[in-house]
Amino acid sequence: MRIDRTHRAWLIASLIIFGVATAIYVVYAASSPAGPSGGSAIGLAFGIAGSLCMIFAGLLAARKKVPVWRLGRAQTWMRGHLWLGLLSLPLILFHGEFRFGGPLTSVLMVLLIVVVVSGIFGAALQHYMPPVMTTRIPMETIFEQIDRVRAQLLAEADEMVESACGPLNFQDTATATIATTDTLPLCNFYRRDVRPFLHRSRAQNPALSNRVKAAGIFEGLRTLLPATLHDIVKNLEDICEEERQLRRQTRYHHWLHGWLMLHVPLSLALLLLGCAHAIMALRY
Amino acid sequence: MSAGSLVELTIDGRKVSVPAGTTIFDAARIHDIGIPTLCHQQNEKPVGVCRVCVVDVGTRVYTASCIRPVEPGMVVNTAADGVKRARHTLIELLMSDHPSPCARERQSGDCELEALAKREQITAVRYAPRATRRGPDDSSMSIAVDFDACILCDRCIRGCSDIRENFVLGRMGKGATTGIAFDDNEPMGESSCVSCGECMVSCPTGALTNKVVTQTAIARTPDSEPVSLAELQELPFFGGVSGTFLSLNRNAVVRRHFKPGEVICREGEYGSTAFYMLEGQAKVSIASPMAHVKTKGAVRNFLGKLSSKLTQRQNDHREEETSQHWIHIDAPMDLSYDNPVAMLGPGDLFGEMTCMSLYPRSATVRAETACTAFEMLRNVLDIMQRNKTFRAKLDQSYRQRALDSHLRAVPVFAELTDQFIAGLRERVELLRFTPGQVICRQGEAADSFYLVRIGFVKVSQTHAGGEMVLAYLSRGEYFGETALLEDTVRSATCTALDHVEVVRISAEDFASMTRQFPGVRQKLEQVGRERVQMNHETLVMINSTPLDSFLKQGLMEAQSLLLLDLNACTRCDACVTACADAHDGVTRLVREGLRFDHYLVATSCRQCLDPLCMVGCPVGSIRRRNSLEVIIEDWCIGCGLCAENCPYGNINMHPFNVFTDVPGMPGQKKAMVKQKATSCDLCSDFAEPSCVYACPHDAAHRVNPRTFFANLLKQGAGTTLES
Repeated sequence: MRIDRTHRAWLIASLIIFGVATAIYVVYAASSPAGPSGGSAIGLAFGIAGSLCMIFAGLLAARKKVPVWRLGRAQTWMRGHLWLGLLSLPLILFHGEFRFGGPLTSVLMVLLIVVVVSGIFGAALQHYMPPVMTTRIPMETIFEQIDRVRAQLLAEADEMVESACGPLNFQDTATATIATTDTLPLCNFYRRDVRPFLHRSRAQNPALSNRVKAAGIFEGLRTLLPATLHDIVKNLEDICEEERQLRRQTRYHHWLHGWLMLHVPLSLALLLLGCAHAIMALRY
Repeated sequence: MSAGSLVELTIDGRKVSVPAGTTIFDAARIHDIGIPTLCHQQNEKPVGVCRVCVVDVGTRVYTASCIRPVEPGMVVNTAADGVKRARHTLIELLMSDHPSPCARERQSGDCELEALAKREQITAVRYAPRATRRGPDDSSMSIAVDFDACILCDRCIRGCSDIRENFVLGRMGKGATTGIAFDDNEPMGESSCVSCGECMVSCPTGALTNKVVTQTAIARTPDSEPVSLAELQELPFFGGVSGTFLSLNRNAVVRRHFKPGEVICREGEYGSTAFYMLEGQAKVSIASPMAHVKTKGAVRNFLGKLSSKLTQRQNDHREEETSQHWIHIDAPMDLSYDNPVAMLGPGDLFGEMTCMSLYPRSATVRAETACTAFEMLRNVLDIMQRNKTFRAKLDQSYRQRALDSHLRAVPVFAELTDQFIAGLRERVELLRFTPGQVICRQGEAADSFYLVRIGFVKVSQTHAGGEMVLAYLSRGEYFGETALLEDTVRSATCTALDHVEVVRISAEDFASMTRQFPGVRQKLEQVGRERVQMNHETLVMINSTPLDSFLKQGLMEAQSLLLLDLNACTRCDACVTACADAHDGVTRLVREGLRFDHYLVATSCRQCLDPLCMVGCPVGSIRRRNSLEVIIEDWCIGCGLCAENCPYGNINMHPFNVFTDVPGMPGQKKAMVKQKATSCDLCSDFAEPSCVYACPHDAAHRVNPRTFFANLLKQGAGTTLES
């Protein structure tokens, strides 16, 4: 989600809450002879408020499970998730008097910090990466379809080269047609460089992964081939470009969503342990 | 004298009356008085070149009856001695050059010239044949040409140019050397001839005959029975049809016998044949549930998904839903919405749209009693429909049985009285148009109002920037009213998209109708105003938006686009998941499509201005609401044609389990799966589409492209589109 001017209301509200909480905490800390305590009424109030913020933030996952339920627009939930989740950190710090406490509370504090930081990292990624993807991957496809598209590209390239060079039995080179002098450079280049690149074999030419270097390679190939084969070279070049973009999309996609592998389980653990902490604190 | 008035004349002593403008030949034909002819064919424009049809009308010279219109009080003698002598001489002269027996006489025994010669008892010809002979042209793979058998009747030329519009055949030479020629007198096989066979079918002699390279054949079933050539030639509606054609196509028509309860054709199936009932009764019905697909607005349990259900009109009366009570089908009658069943009997022709335009069957026809019917392929139906006698019979059947319900099925005509329709019945004209043929042209004077009977009509306007399609009209819809009401010229061009038949109501009858029924006039004016307003808005929108590349991608054809802001979209697929959850687990959007600047136009119904999805719907169930929104009506039979026609892949077929009656077992039901077409319904049960509502990143938007992209471009956004 882009953090833009439309977040102003949430930002202001969060700042006000934060300011008020800070003021209360400062007054409370200054007026308590024994120092602030999480078990005091104000300390508990901070704890409850922080926990409610965390619970609301955590409920976003549940909200996503019922996308068509009219429980408020998903983007409102997402904004709440971002800002209230962020707000939970100072509230819990106020609740814990900026100390980690015992083993459980220490774990909770670490978890909270990691969750909030990973959340900020994720929010930053989701703010900056979509425009980058839009610009750098014009041939973007649906992520789940990438393998299929890649297989199609390979088949298309095979067919194109075979139409010029004759059947190239890639599994059994012994039965492959021997290319004519005209097509030999294309045939060799395709076998040696392009196909391993498209096939993602281990022995692939790393230069094809780089658009500028690849352009140079293809330009060199053109000088070895008659003009009638230049269209095929151009198409191969385009296919390699699409392959590069698909690889980039995969990489970006992992970045864009990979942080959730950390954020979501830790958030769940935080909520569960938070419940345990609340029960233990109230019980004992 | 107006075209509709009657003219009285005397033919061979009989007083007859025919509409003004009728030729003497047709007047005689209507009253069963036969006049021989060679150059005139019912489906072609008469030219009067052979002069065999001459008659005596009391003038200085005999006149060719095929081109001379009747006049009040005219006295025609078709068999006067002088006429007979002149005709005899003409035939004798034609026979002097004719290589008797010609190829057609040898093949099918129906050379029209030789038949006339036999009738005139011409056995020996007194005149010398032509000195130089042109001989045969055997260059075509499918048609044999014998120039010596040609009598220069021009039937082949008119067939090639007027009917097929191929313009390959013409005349060449002068005087005694005149002859027909392909292109610039090329051999037929090397000319631009497409071997459609129209010339061969039109030819009265053996000048153009088939080589029997291949024969059209209908699929044979155990209950089908071939019809012999002799039998076909004796059938009244094949009267005058070339024996060559019948010989070539004799396997394209079969006689089929159906037992009671047997299905003759089934709704939704694709086919290529039409049926002509000879005996028995058959029931025509729509088995599809009279219900539309609706997403249930409540969830059963916490984790449950919304599901799509079939909902009847009584339970869900959608806003602006049609008040139509009739379902238009491919048969001579319409079906009532409440009880979509009707009977077909001898003389009824059904399946025309399937046969002529390859549309899916619009209804199921089941034999009620033992039935016999001709099943025929397109070429046979086509030739049958050219027969004026057969057409007249079909048209009369339509006037008597269907015109009434057809007119009343149009909401604006609901208040017409029986008396008025009875008067109109004989006055309306039933016209046929071939694909691409213009029915009325923008800027022309308006002289008629049209009601679509069969097929699809494209309504378009020509502007400086090109053609703009305003609408597609199907059976039950009408056009031409605006110009008549406002007494002005046509504001749009109406073109037949496929095989189209329309009911033409003359301007006089239309004026009489609007005078007698002010309510009809009011409604027509209201509809006219809405149409004009809609067209105006479309035009303003197109002219005011500087989007050349945008137009190229057809985005301005859309009225509502689902856009994903790629700068905000994290590709989480929440929109797709929400759509699937809202529609039985089947998404109606795909997160892929065109890009405009940083927006992705997702694959989801665009409510196009030019809704190609509507073209071909055999029952007219996909239509626009008045808001231009595309809606699929209850009687969708699930044939899937709209899904195939949608150029953007935005219509899906949705399967539902339904219970239907078991034929012949009253009260018993069986479970079966029926398909209904679905497209994005904008989650109409909710205030906002689920895809937009469920997007956590504020990236999904449903927008009106005309305003959205215009604003975007004014702000200097991207000018290129990528797919």
